[in-house]
Amino acid sequence: MTIAPVRPGGHEGERLVRTPAFWVVLVLLIAGGVRIAVIGFRFGSAYPTATLTATVLFALLAVPFWLFLADLDFLEPEPVAMQAMAFAWGGLVATSASIPASAALEDLVAKLGSPGLAADWGAALAGPTVEEIAKTLGIVAIVLIARAQINSVLDGVVYGAVVGLGFQIVEDIVFALGAVALAGRGDSVQPVVATFLLRGFLSGVWSHTLFGALAGAGIGYLVVRKDKTRAVRVGVALLAVVGSWCSHVLWNAPLFSDGLGNGGLALLAVLVFKGLPPLLLILLLVRAAHDREADYYTAQLAALRDPELITDAELEVLRSGPRRAEARRHARLRAGYRAHAAVRRLQRAQARLAVELSRAESSAPAARPEDVGTLEGSVARWCSVVREQRAVLADLGLPEATVPVDGQSAWRRRGESVLAVVVAIAVLWVALSALGGA
Amino acid sequence: MNLFGALALAAAVAGLAFGLPAIDRALPSQRPVRTDQPYAVGGGVTVLPPTGATIDLTGTRPGDDQGTVLFRLGPVKYTVAVQPFDGTLAAAADRLRRRITGTPGYQVTGSQLAVETVGGIAGLQGGYTAPGRGGRYSVFVAGGRAIEVTVSGAELDLGRWLPAIEASTRTLRYPGEQP
Repeated sequence: MTIAPVRPGGHEGERLVRTPAFWVVLVLLIAGGVRIAVIGFRFGSAYPTATLTATVLFALLAVPFWLFLADLDFLEPEPVAMQAMAFAWGGLVATSASIPASAALEDLVAKLGSPGLAADWGAALAGPTVEEIAKTLGIVAIVLIARAQINSVLDGVVYGAVVGLGFQIVEDIVFALGAVALAGRGDSVQPVVATFLLRGFLSGVWSHTLFGALAGAGIGYLVVRKDKTRAVRVGVALLAVVGSWCSHVLWNAPLFSDGLGNGGLALLAVLVFKGLPPLLLILLLVRAAHDREADYYTAQLAALRDPELITDAELEVLRSGPRRAEARRHARLRAGYRAHAAVRRLQRAQARLAVELSRAESSAPAARPEDVGTLEGSVARWCSVVREQRAVLADLGLPEATVPVDGQSAWRRRGESVLAVVVAIAVLWVALSALGGA
Repeated sequence: MNLFGALALAAAVAGLAFGLPAIDRALPSQRPVRTDQPYAVGGGVTVLPPTGATIDLTGTRPGDDQGTVLFRLGPVKYTVAVQPFDGTLAAAADRLRRRITGTPGYQVTGSQLAVETVGGIAGLQGGYTAPGRGGRYSVFVAGGRAIEVTVSGAELDLGRWLPAIEASTRTLRYPGEQP
């Protein structure tokens, strides 16, 4: 018997509040929230405009990250409440624990080493050590509260990234307001904008969200891959957490602090040298985790062999984010925005049906009779929803939600990817120039 | 099991938030410093520490472009901070005054006086008050860097140590300075 790499969980619902971990985490969230609120109130009283600007700018920065994670997790989306809890852990608990701990660890580097060592390597050693631990504890908290929600390595990636995102946004706001205080120009937004460009654009891509995703992949592997020995699972989890620490250390390290020469290109080269290797490594891991989950869930749908629920072409579309988006776009071009929305609803319904099928399959042997009925009812309900959306689509003249196989779509996707890279480099260039790098 | 895990989680967070700072506090932070040799603050700036001073490692971070040093003379804190700066002396002084008054309860007192180091670097000096303590600040701009000096402590202690600190401040030097 092979054990699936994806372990579908049940519906948690009201069981959450009955776990001791939920209440312990809630207390920690409240304590962290009070601590961050005190810091926010202090800055808000002294620099109201800068505080508001920083909060709005960095909250907006969270949007593309959130959308990316939502698309990554399309097939089996995590409950919003759990994601909110992960985000709050990163933004409230991990940050409020890291602020005194990082300062203390940097002082210890100065005391046990030298002030020079602390000045050069303090940020590279203290920050990653404390922060990666604090963030990883957030993923552990999610496991303790709702173990059933970690069904695949990808779920670990998503929760890790969300914890990292919360940390990144709150830390950036605190850094921006620290820059305002240091500038000594009163309630000025210029240091906020400079921090936004520096930490949002230049450092944003390879920051806490990415490091958290890597650690989350490790915790996800530890929890889900029961087909491996405990030693292997613990080893992989440790390796992932150490990997996130190493990526963070490399980013904070004073290597090439003087750049590779003068100008924006030289600075860009340093950013790419320090940020790109971990970025590529983590993206490859995320891609592998995503494909593994997509294989599992699409196999559930394929086993139905019912083209009214999903066709072979739609199976290929459903397992890829860009193809799903292309199918929606194709529908819009052929039959307008109603078709676009109908394809989205159909894809959502198909994904949900896959999850319910896998829950029914994995729970069947041990399920109580009344639960079997509930699970079968869920499958039947989502089959019905898929058929309804299929009918809506058919009324709009689209027999299936797929992408034309004329080769143009693939080229368009590649073109859009190249365009996105060019735009990203242009934005980086503008940011570097604005900061005086060019 | 879930409760045990949750308590272990809380203990780990507490270990970070309170344990590490407690270990840090348990280790001595002050070290003796030679007062007959210039101390490299950062950015090439040096200062001769006042007699009787120790160096506080928690506030001392030397660097190539910038740096800070925190000396302690009994309960009095004497900080020298160097950072890149391309403005005027008046702008540097204004920036420091705003930072001081940006802290709740801190107010600058009186007008600023012109001061000068032994090597001829011109600066501005003023005073401030804070709840239960007083302070002095001095600002110098030289070689594309701002050198900010702040001294804080109870008024009685300040009165005792200020002459030695002001003598130390006058020994500030930067690389491009003519002796």
